[in-house]
Amino acid sequence: MSMRYVSLDRIQGLKALRRSSTPKAPTRDWQASLLDDCGESHPRTKTIQYDPDRLSQILGASPKTNQYGDYLSVRCWCAQPPRYCPELRALRLLMPDALDEIADPEQWLFLDTETTGLAGGSGTYAFLVGVAWWDGGGLEIEQFFMREYSEERSLLFALRERIAEHPVLVTFNGKSFDWPLLETRYRMSRKISVPAPRAHLDFLHPARNLWRLRLGSVRLSELEHHVLGWDRGADVLSGQIPQIYFDYLRGGPAERLVPVLNHNQMDLRGLAALSSRILSLLSGVEELGQDGLELFGVSRICEKRGEHSRARKLYEKSIASVLPTETDRIARRSLARLAKREGDFELACELWKDALGNSRHGYEAYEQLAIYYEHKARDPEQALQVVRQAIDELRRAIQTGDIAPGPYCEIKVRFDRRIERLERKSRRPLLDAMSARAQA
Amino acid sequence: MLGLVANKRRIQTGARMPASQSLAPRPPASLETVHNILGSLVERYRQEEVLTAVRQIPARTAKFRPIPVWVTSALSEAYRAKGIRELYSHQAAAAELVRNGRNIVVVTPTASGKTLCYNLPVVNAVQEDPDTRALYLFPTKALAQDQLSELHDLSKRLDDRFGVFTYDGDTPSDARKAIRERGHIVLTNPDMLHTGILPHHTKWMRLFENLRYIVLDELHTYRGVFGSHLANVLRRLKRIAKFYGSDPQFICCSATIANPGELASQLIEKEGEVVEENGAPAGEKLFVFYNPPMVNRNLGIRRSYINEATRVSKEILARKLQTIVFANSRLHTEVLLTYLQQANPSKPGQPEPIRGYRGGYLPGERREIERGLRDGRILGVVATNALELGIDVGSLDACVMAGYPGTIASTWQRAGRAGRRTGSSCAVFVASSAPLDQFIVQHPDYFFGNSPEHAHIQPDNLEILVNHLKCAAFELPISTDERFGNVNLRELCEQLGEAGFLHQSGGDWHWIDEAYPADTISLRSITSDNFVIIDTTGEDRGKPEVIGEVDFSSALTTVHPKAIYIHQGQQYHVEQLDFDKRKAYVKPVNVDYFTDAIRYTQVRVLEVAEEETISDPAGRTHGDVLVRSQVVGFKKIKFFTNENVGSGKLELPENEMHTTSFWLTLGHNLLAELPFSLSERQGGIFGLLYALGSMATLLMMCDRRDLGTAVGERPPSAASEINWEDFAFPSNTSETKEFFEPNLYIYDAYPGGIGFSEPLYRTCDTLLSRTLELISACPCENGCPSCVGPTADRRERTKEVALEILGRLCRDAQFTATRTAETA
Repeated sequence: MSMRYVSLDRIQGLKALRRSSTPKAPTRDWQASLLDDCGESHPRTKTIQYDPDRLSQILGASPKTNQYGDYLSVRCWCAQPPRYCPELRALRLLMPDALDEIADPEQWLFLDTETTGLAGGSGTYAFLVGVAWWDGGGLEIEQFFMREYSEERSLLFALRERIAEHPVLVTFNGKSFDWPLLETRYRMSRKISVPAPRAHLDFLHPARNLWRLRLGSVRLSELEHHVLGWDRGADVLSGQIPQIYFDYLRGGPAERLVPVLNHNQMDLRGLAALSSRILSLLSGVEELGQDGLELFGVSRICEKRGEHSRARKLYEKSIASVLPTETDRIARRSLARLAKREGDFELACELWKDALGNSRHGYEAYEQLAIYYEHKARDPEQALQVVRQAIDELRRAIQTGDIAPGPYCEIKVRFDRRIERLERKSRRPLLDAMSARAQA
Repeated sequence: MLGLVANKRRIQTGARMPASQSLAPRPPASLETVHNILGSLVERYRQEEVLTAVRQIPARTAKFRPIPVWVTSALSEAYRAKGIRELYSHQAAAAELVRNGRNIVVVTPTASGKTLCYNLPVVNAVQEDPDTRALYLFPTKALAQDQLSELHDLSKRLDDRFGVFTYDGDTPSDARKAIRERGHIVLTNPDMLHTGILPHHTKWMRLFENLRYIVLDELHTYRGVFGSHLANVLRRLKRIAKFYGSDPQFICCSATIANPGELASQLIEKEGEVVEENGAPAGEKLFVFYNPPMVNRNLGIRRSYINEATRVSKEILARKLQTIVFANSRLHTEVLLTYLQQANPSKPGQPEPIRGYRGGYLPGERREIERGLRDGRILGVVATNALELGIDVGSLDACVMAGYPGTIASTWQRAGRAGRRTGSSCAVFVASSAPLDQFIVQHPDYFFGNSPEHAHIQPDNLEILVNHLKCAAFELPISTDERFGNVNLRELCEQLGEAGFLHQSGGDWHWIDEAYPADTISLRSITSDNFVIIDTTGEDRGKPEVIGEVDFSSALTTVHPKAIYIHQGQQYHVEQLDFDKRKAYVKPVNVDYFTDAIRYTQVRVLEVAEEETISDPAGRTHGDVLVRSQVVGFKKIKFFTNENVGSGKLELPENEMHTTSFWLTLGHNLLAELPFSLSERQGGIFGLLYALGSMATLLMMCDRRDLGTAVGERPPSAASEINWEDFAFPSNTSETKEFFEPNLYIYDAYPGGIGFSEPLYRTCDTLLSRTLELISACPCENGCPSCVGPTADRRERTKEVALEILGRLCRDAQFTATRTAETA
């Protein structure tokens, strides 16, 4: 079919070809010389930018081949962090339905990727996939690197084999980033099916529970520094990594990739160490932790997983070691909730009484106390008194401008309703008493 | 006839109803009522001047066909339970064609049951094979929502055997995963497909692997820039479908336009069948054209069409006929609403009888209004085009359109909002004094005849295509043997490689950038570059307020320094224009003039594609041009009298654009023969171009902003540069230069062109003869905004000159010059 193409004469003027920051695009001359070197008849050879041996040398890598082609593999072994054997009890706090075999450290595969962008979507590639597993008391690390986009399939296939050997994935933020991205890559390959790990443990959320209050940020490198006391030294900024890879693809120096590989290695080691630390805290923070915030963090995780008695003990312990005001308030509130749950109203009332005041928690405490007097202690007079006190508190706050009109109305309505019912009740004490007896 | 008598009787009972009684049951409209209303409206005027057309569109009986035998019994049972025992003929034809694997375009008016044309075959296919998936595309989110309830109903009747979901910006993220897996039919819009679905196609694997149908509803809305974008989005969609091994069929629905088949095949780039025969019944309808009476014949000033539309609506509402009033802008909606609510105050304890409906209202409020209309609690609604497309509000008695909706297709769609399957209805079009309105209102035959409107797109516009090619590369690497539009893909990829967007590896071109390309490309607007307008009044209090925004192309003409910018009826004086920061600082003022920017536009011909002599010595051409434009000054024009009360010079940046253009060249002899002075001739040329530009937007179904116009010199004598300031400030110069052989350019106001130039070249005869009709039918004396543009000076014989030139150009065309003689 003969076709008259749209003329491309004016293509240079297109806005679509302009970019905000121009990358160092290779020049025509450079490409021409490359073509001379490689010969144009084999388009595949054109894509290899470096003498393969030299690239491997620089990266300390060895070329590997499988049925889908070539890729580079970088291996190393580190004594730090040492192998750690997690307790099933601790694991179940993170994954309630964890099977026994998940606790087998031989099954674990730590995973971290370096990608061509953070946006996600089918145009983002994982050009470096690092995995690590326990071996010989330390950590064996393997990094798969694609020298070209065309090596993606062989890389994915190699990764699939490692996941088959160690089927429990361990990541940091991998549940929402690395793994979905890899799933996309497998689907795009149309040849290699998505590997099915037996379990996927992600330590971002536990780390957040434990350390966000203390550190603000829970970036892996920050955690390494503050929790593990490690120092990464000079490290490449994650934001620069895609551009370093693009520059390399366009013929830039391969030496600049070395810090990227190191960065990935350090992420894997940090992840392994951090997971050990988190699991040991979950196993026995009682023995390890002097840090009130860590105690508080573990107790939150315990409470969420329904280990109430342990959570209660830990809350008590964390309150005993000094907590920041806001955290202390949350801890006391949670403790009161757990005490109420276990029928320990003495403790609960004490905590509520301490918490009374003009704040969301304060009013909640008023309300809890009123509920207690009304329904448990069967003392509507006392309940009425608490509610009146709360309403006085509210009035004072709105007059001095210590509460915004929105929350004021919302809270006021709740207490008004309660006081109305209580007043109705107190007018018919006999009936009330009778019904109480009937219920009993 | 029987129907009418019955109606009459009902009207009488209706009339006896006390006013306070509830609205239902309302009497349906009858032609007699409408005639009464019209009579009372035009009492004081010459009826034929005001009511330029009163057309009765007869009732149409239904043509039925049985539900095809291949439809599953469960589905035909579900339809029977909904009261559909037979199909209309076009529904049956459409269903059969889809069944036979064809791509189709169904062209039928509003309320003809077109949704069944796609729902029946698609749902049937899902019934037969539960793996089947379909994607429905609607131009707006609201339309998708409306279709959702219809499909939910069908799904419920079929024991929830298929899943239907909308997927758009409002879809909560936790629901998205389920939709991707379980949605048999996914309802979305082109924008969401472009930014949300295609770049994440691996998450939609199940949909793409089993994608059998793509439904494009309201096809006629996909024209111009939006349509050109959509064609490229569909190219990307088909690439991805192919990757997953599917080759979906297209089912399109369109309002009546002249070229539905052509538009569809340009959009989907596949062969298809057009289903045009309408088998749905309709009640009789009276269609009325109302031209507001003249108040100043010299200047061509008519009574305000907004006030007149209010008057018409009031008369209709007074008879308790359920009415929808359409306005063309949000502002006019609010004005009309205020007037009509004042005339129809709500009774204590009862809901407001007249409501507004436009973008910006909350979804819940909209649903409530739609319900109120369906069950009759709301008597009238004032709406923007938000209610024009398929939202189900039931059928109303009357429709009043304040101003021409812009195209014949949307005029019929709006009119279709009034009209029941049985009984009568009426539609009234109240014309503004804009040229298009005036042409339509004075040429009812143009409107009521076969639709002359062609929808045009240019999917190979390089700017648009390259943007989508970037998205395509992000989605899947581009292989060198692929096709993407009509371009040399290999060469284009190499260019994109050099610009640093793509990288070749293993023979394929891969995306090599961190950015997510779809995010930066908007399908709807020409550029995403906007100027914000800031009212600095509150600045002292530290509260400058953003009152609006204008797009880049109109910013220089509307918010240049010292301009009077009118927003929601309030005048603002532009104090400062910060071009780099894209901000205009304004202060409210109250003055008796408005400003008109003087834009100097220079067009240079780059390449002629085709040219031909039409009546010697004049020619038509289309080709590529370079348009350089700059706002060089402005005029202050007094309200009502249109006097020029001052001017100013401006120094603003120049804008340059490659685009395509159609142009007419007037030979030297043609002009020399004209019995007019030099300045009269020049005024006439500009006036003619003004009218040609208006008529071109009508023929091309486009917005006035989509086309630019300019006068320039024919290339050979281009060396003698024209001093543009002569035109910018004619009053300041004593001598005006003669054009040797002027070119009258009508160019696409979009870089690279959007596909209007070649069609304009082809329909040149129609363009000229229609423009002649427009000018000669205009009752003003020397020209007015409705024909050749406003003239300040009586001595300018603009209209006369324009007609004379047109007469010569049309000499050979069958259109006779006799009409010219009558008016000249």
